[in-house]
Amino acid sequence: MLATVVTKTFRDRWKGEAIGAVTLVLLFFMGMAVYRDIDLAVYTDLPEIFRSLMNIPSDADVGALAYGAIYTSYGAMTLTALAISMGSASIAGEERNGTMGLLLGNPKSRSHILVSKAVNILVLTALGCLLLWIGGLVVPSLLNVNVSGIHVGALMVHMFAIATFHGFLALALSAWTGKGVVATGTTVAVMIISFMAVGILPLIENLEAGAKLFPWYYFSGSQPHVNGASWGHLAVLFVGIAILAAVAVAGVNRRDLRGQTTGVSLVDRLRTHPLTEKLVDRLAGSTRVSRIWIKTASEHQGLLIIVSYAMFLVMGVMMGPMYTFIDETLVTLADAFPEGVLALFGGGDLATPEGWYQIETFGLMAPIAFMIITITLGAKALAGEEAQRTMGLLLANPIKRSRVILEKTVTMVVYTLVLAIALFSGVALGSMFGGLGISGANIAATVILGALLGLVFGGLALAISALTGTVRIAVFGSIGVGLVAFVANGFLPLSEGFEGLVKWTPVHYYLGSDPLNNGMNWGHGALLAALFVALIAVAVVLFDRRDLRQSG
Amino acid sequence: MSTEAVSTDPAILTESLTKHYGETKALNDLDLQVERGEVFGFLGPNGAGKTTMIRTILDEIRPTSGRASILGLDSHEASVEIRNHIGYVPGDLAMYPNLTGKDTLTYFANLRGGVDWGFADSLAERLDADLTKKVGDLSSGNRQKIGLIQAFMNRPDLLVMDEPSSGLDPLVQREFQTMMREVVADGRTVFLSSHTLSEVQRVADRVGIIRSGNLIAVEEVASLRSKAIRTVQLFFDETVDAAVFEPLPGVREVNVQNHHVTLSFDGQMETLLKVVTDKYSLLDITTHEADLEEIFLTYYEEVDA
Repeated sequence: MLATVVTKTFRDRWKGEAIGAVTLVLLFFMGMAVYRDIDLAVYTDLPEIFRSLMNIPSDADVGALAYGAIYTSYGAMTLTALAISMGSASIAGEERNGTMGLLLGNPKSRSHILVSKAVNILVLTALGCLLLWIGGLVVPSLLNVNVSGIHVGALMVHMFAIATFHGFLALALSAWTGKGVVATGTTVAVMIISFMAVGILPLIENLEAGAKLFPWYYFSGSQPHVNGASWGHLAVLFVGIAILAAVAVAGVNRRDLRGQTTGVSLVDRLRTHPLTEKLVDRLAGSTRVSRIWIKTASEHQGLLIIVSYAMFLVMGVMMGPMYTFIDETLVTLADAFPEGVLALFGGGDLATPEGWYQIETFGLMAPIAFMIITITLGAKALAGEEAQRTMGLLLANPIKRSRVILEKTVTMVVYTLVLAIALFSGVALGSMFGGLGISGANIAATVILGALLGLVFGGLALAISALTGTVRIAVFGSIGVGLVAFVANGFLPLSEGFEGLVKWTPVHYYLGSDPLNNGMNWGHGALLAALFVALIAVAVVLFDRRDLRQSG
Repeated sequence: MSTEAVSTDPAILTESLTKHYGETKALNDLDLQVERGEVFGFLGPNGAGKTTMIRTILDEIRPTSGRASILGLDSHEASVEIRNHIGYVPGDLAMYPNLTGKDTLTYFANLRGGVDWGFADSLAERLDADLTKKVGDLSSGNRQKIGLIQAFMNRPDLLVMDEPSSGLDPLVQREFQTMMREVVADGRTVFLSSHTLSEVQRVADRVGIIRSGNLIAVEEVASLRSKAIRTVQLFFDETVDAAVFEPLPGVREVNVQNHHVTLSFDGQMETLLKVVTDKYSLLDITTHEADLEEIFLTYYEEVDA
């Protein structure tokens, strides 16, 4: 075992893992504090089927609902995302930095290095789970909430398994391809699609069993926090982890290591082909470098294509027809559902097509998709060029620092516009195909507000990037604020004492006015837009003041 | 390019320029004046503050105190205007790996509002640079060539280059030195930071020596040389006595090995030869100037002492 490699990677990474876990525990504290005050009566009438759907154990205090709401969704996704980032950085990251050759200059095999990276994923994910576990025991006792029916330990074991599974999937892809972006993109897509599938498929007659095809099912399908550990499901994940580990070892040993070189893309091939040379050269060459914002736009096309495709097809078009397949009994029962609980899941109501789209698309997934793009662009806009050490060269040209920020902001707005168009046309088509008759203007209003919310977080990432010059801080900082804002927006309205505070989260101005039913709220839109502009202005001031970093 | 800012102001003028990073004093009260139309070599060991100085005058980082002006313009207040007149090659050059050399040059040309492509292409030809490959696929030396072209192609009034010849092979280095001399012949200025003394010796008119953030000396290369001690080697047909050489005027160090004497000498050659040939039968004599390397080391030893 390469203890040194393990230790170094651990030192690089433990802070991120610990910050993620502690943030989640704080959110958990907040959620449970609010839930404790909810009137118990709304749950006594709750139909059994909803209890199981919402992961509410029958004999537990309502405070225990916080486990279902925070740990099994935000918690598991956060730990999984951290594991994915470790997995994809493991091999491909060392290659990108050009340090892989150096590492292998020592008398250790590639397999050794891979194994030590794998150990890091296990150790750090275990650390994250351990912190959540401690928080999961301490918080209820601090708040005097009865959690007797909750199996915190079992939930943590399941969470460890699902996060490690995704981490190893990213590790295997990173080992086979040497491309960090491929590893991250594919694994995040697997996570999101399987998270959604596990939520939706059980609602559809005859397709219930389909959920078993997705890894997330083996995490949450057995509801471990209610029913205790499911050893069968855990076995599926751990066998999967073992297979992925073997695949990763095979992958890293079979191929040529990548230098710090670039891949050959389709555009490159077309550019050298005599037939297409002229046209493609103009597009890929002179047009791409004609302006800073166009060049920036050319750098994240892959991500844009994937995300806008997902928004159009999965979140938009597919959801419409799917609504018509939903079990009738569920829809009628939905009337009995307490509003407070629904608020947490995006505030939708299954009985109406609008509510369906709100729960499945607009509540969580669409804002996440917008934020993936805006935060990536915002964080990399300045800090990315500094990390690559190109900022000095760029600013040796007669342009102001503020112009760099403004051009990069243009890219962010253009990308967001593309996503908004994809989402709008997807939902509009979905509504048409399913015969749901949702108002086009209301869809547009919701999409616009969502896009503006995304821009607010992108602006925040840009401002943090302008202040610190560090991509990682900008990404995690804005995701952290986003996480807090979303959870606060979900929980605060449930408690009478804290109700008013919800106005302080930007998320409130997205769905707070129920735009899918009520149409555009211009005041809310203007507020989000103003916040975005203010953040960009802050970024300009901050960036103009500080020393450029010499390297990442 | 516009040249209205060009006047007789010094190319670079720093007044008590100071940059501290917490406790670390990267630059201390640096007073430096670089004239128009010279190649100024900025010498110092790794970590001496060369890059910090360059990044400060280019407004990448801000001085803790003191100020700098470039071509008569304040380095911070007029930074954008200044950049119309400069070409810059950063140390440890990095560029956009996914762009070809041509794309890279086009990008920077667009940011400057155009470039004379005939000139840029001629530079590429002289440096034997491949503009069709992606920068990320080039070796570091070939990448460096792209960096040089982007700095030279706008015919800037001032070229600021931080360790520019790293990775270049000797032939290209020579061409690069010719290019620098051409810039100066044109009345423009080159500020060249380097720890490669031989390069500075060949191309610079003046050198500044920096160490631990302090400017130790600024000298003309020619006068440095004239100050310099010569190394004289004498070969005789018999064993000689060191005591004969030691009292001679100008002799600093004597090293005798049988028939062979090595002297450090800054006196009159005529006197030396007279005394020596009177005493012994001289078979052969070689003499050469000490290079900057030796002078440079002498400076540092003096500072250390």
